[in-house]
Amino acid sequence: MQAEKPWTAMYGASVPPDVDPAPFQSIGDFITATSAKFWDLPAFTTCLPNGMNGTLTFGQADQMSDAMAVYLRDIAGLHVGDRVAVQVPNCLSYPVMAMAIFKAGCVLVNVNPLYTAEEMTKQFQDAEPAAILVVDMFADKLAEALTDHPIPNVIVTRVAEFLPALPKMIVGAVQKYWDKTITPITIPHIRLPDAIAQGRAKSRSVAAIEAYRADVKPDDVACLQYTGGTTGVSKGAMLSHKNLLMNMSQTMALITTLDEGKEVALTALPLYHIFAFTVNFLGFFSIGARNILIPNPRPLTSLKRAFENYKITWMSGVNTLFNGLNNEIWFTDSPPKYLKFASAGGMALQGSVAARWEEVTGKPVLEGYGLTESSPVLTFNPFGKTRLNSIGIPLPSTDLRCVDDDGVDMPVGEPGELIAKGPQIMLGYWKRPDATAETIQNGWLLTGDIGLMEPDGYFRIVDRKKDLILVSGFNVYPNEIEDVIAAHPGVNEVAVIGVPDGAAGEAVKAFVVPQGDGVTVDALRSYCKEHLTAYKVPKQVEFRDELPKSNVGKILRKDLRAQSIVKEGA
Amino acid sequence: MVGPLEQAILALMIFVIMLGMGASLTPRDFYLALRRPYGLAIGVISQYGFMPFIGFLLITVLPLPDPIAVGVLIMACMPGGTTSNIFTYFSKGNLALSVLMTVTSTVFGVILIPVILVIYAAALDLEIPRENIIATLVLLLVPVAIGMVMRKLNANVGAVTEFFGSLLALIFILFLLVSWVPRNWQFLMTTTPATYIAAIGLGIVGITIGYSFARALRLHPRNARTVALETGIQNGPLAIAIIAFTFAGTEAQSYMAVPALYSLFIVIVSTLVTLVFRRANTAAEQALPDGLL
Repeated sequence: MQAEKPWTAMYGASVPPDVDPAPFQSIGDFITATSAKFWDLPAFTTCLPNGMNGTLTFGQADQMSDAMAVYLRDIAGLHVGDRVAVQVPNCLSYPVMAMAIFKAGCVLVNVNPLYTAEEMTKQFQDAEPAAILVVDMFADKLAEALTDHPIPNVIVTRVAEFLPALPKMIVGAVQKYWDKTITPITIPHIRLPDAIAQGRAKSRSVAAIEAYRADVKPDDVACLQYTGGTTGVSKGAMLSHKNLLMNMSQTMALITTLDEGKEVALTALPLYHIFAFTVNFLGFFSIGARNILIPNPRPLTSLKRAFENYKITWMSGVNTLFNGLNNEIWFTDSPPKYLKFASAGGMALQGSVAARWEEVTGKPVLEGYGLTESSPVLTFNPFGKTRLNSIGIPLPSTDLRCVDDDGVDMPVGEPGELIAKGPQIMLGYWKRPDATAETIQNGWLLTGDIGLMEPDGYFRIVDRKKDLILVSGFNVYPNEIEDVIAAHPGVNEVAVIGVPDGAAGEAVKAFVVPQGDGVTVDALRSYCKEHLTAYKVPKQVEFRDELPKSNVGKILRKDLRAQSIVKEGA
Repeated sequence: MVGPLEQAILALMIFVIMLGMGASLTPRDFYLALRRPYGLAIGVISQYGFMPFIGFLLITVLPLPDPIAVGVLIMACMPGGTTSNIFTYFSKGNLALSVLMTVTSTVFGVILIPVILVIYAAALDLEIPRENIIATLVLLLVPVAIGMVMRKLNANVGAVTEFFGSLLALIFILFLLVSWVPRNWQFLMTTTPATYIAAIGLGIVGITIGYSFARALRLHPRNARTVALETGIQNGPLAIAIIAFTFAGTEAQSYMAVPALYSLFIVIVSTLVTLVFRRANTAAEQALPDGLL
């Protein structure tokens, strides 16, 4: 039997073992109160690769989102609990829209802007959003995705939204005429600023806007955050207002080195990802920080101007990002001077990357761990007590155990499946009680990750139970890839596994048994590109005469993995 | 060959272009280049070591009449000019290093150019117009400093200035080509192949040697690209000015043939080199996954 929460000894005097529930009924209330507190401070800044930028203060974002909430409820006619999809890269439109959705008592559905039309359709069919905010660059995909499944209200925005007129014009012109990333929009839509103007024209009182969410309770769904599962079908994790607000408070409680109203956070991770959403967007908003939003951190030189022009005090990232910056001469030549520390999540942070980062910047990168299903943070390394290759200690109000297949606790230092309990554990999967019952048992979330606890309460991840592949922080579900490849006429059988791949963590590898005329590696990859987001496309394809199978004919991915590793080592 | 109005327009264009270049820089960029003067030293060596020697070799190998030979030598001894900064910017090189190299080579030039000229052509008695050199520096540094201040005060103003500055730089390059060629058609038709080879070869060989030298000394590719362009691209207008101040009449005209030809072709050569450098830069970019970074 494990000792009762041995990690609390590592908290230090300023971190409570338990976090009080947030004094807010909903995220909408939290946003309104926080905006009022930091009214004149800059809240969000979009910084483009050439340094062009636009900023909204807490007050401006609050007023715009008020007007947008009015639009959603009184003009578009949405109701409490209606889903609203948001499919934009990091830009000023994101916070304005997300804030408006919560104020309107609606449910936010984050959609990855890189999704193909096919993937979008699947998500829309499941979530049935009543409205969507989409960036103009992806409006053509949206039109395709909506052919069979229309969304009543389409709101269109642009990356340079709310920037001063001249930079906005230049960015728009470059996107349209030089990059050619913007095509004419064929579906009926309204522009975000027009929607805001219409909402503002209604001149609703603050009380009227608060009334939109009067019926919203802490345990109501705030976000449908899509994630796959072992089954390969993407599922919407229902994260409640309490889940998200608590996880924000839990995470911020463990960080004791931040000053209210003075921090500048670099948000290069996409806000539609739960880590950036909870920590960057909600967490740093709660302390009055300025969020520098990077629409696209690729190539990494796109971050140069942001680092030069703003006194970045904190940033979040995944292994790939830290590793990439470690290899950029402009970054290593003049590392950010004001940085206090960085936070890593999404995928395992490699020890060598963390060590090099600290050498370059003089500041640590703290690794954490979590799942979409846990809003997402479960553990973090406490500042000043960082341990390499460890996911750190559980957050306040969080319980984490290592158990065997029967749910019995493993002895300290012995690996077992990590199971977690706390106020951040999701309500369940949207419309999937079966999947929910599999994942949450007796109030414990089964993470599917194999980990172990060290005597002082630090955890380490040993292996993953699930077959899912983690490409640079994104879950890739072998079934989904197999389904696509299997549909190719030149393919008889296919199995997909993850193989170690340097900084990206894992790469997708497909084992293919060809049939008929067969198919070439290039043809198969381009076929996959038509149907799948780029990160899901197999990086490696190996042709086989047959695949290893169990006696009931189930393809054994674990055998393929073992063979790949042996081959790699040889 | 260049009228006063044209010269004024050119000066104004360069001013705006350099304003934009400055807006892309921070004081830290200069601090970094100065803190590691290795790159600067390599630049000065290629500028005043290799270039005059390349010029000397070209004169020796090619059958050139004396006035042309003098032109080649003068051209080879020139410091870098603002054009090299523009091409460095577009090549994604180290702009701060480029600007510093231009300044350094110009300052060193006051002493080094006469010395080198004397070494290579003992018979030549050339006077270096100091006011021209000062004008070059002012033309270069003042707008760069203003651009940097603009960016510091407002990042958007800086970015917009940079955008229009670089747009103007492209127009400037086109303007140089389009305005020069038709008016000097006759001259282009009567020039001998050897002169062409000398005028074009100086730039190409200079860029190649500068790049190889910098790479051999293990400079970062970004800095090596900068040294290459800075070495190969000479201050053509300064050469023309020096000749105009030093010589007169038909003598001056014949000495100017090489600087004029050089100035034309270096724009073409540098454009091609810039395209190659840009491609190399893109190829060297870290491959990052599409998804969560």
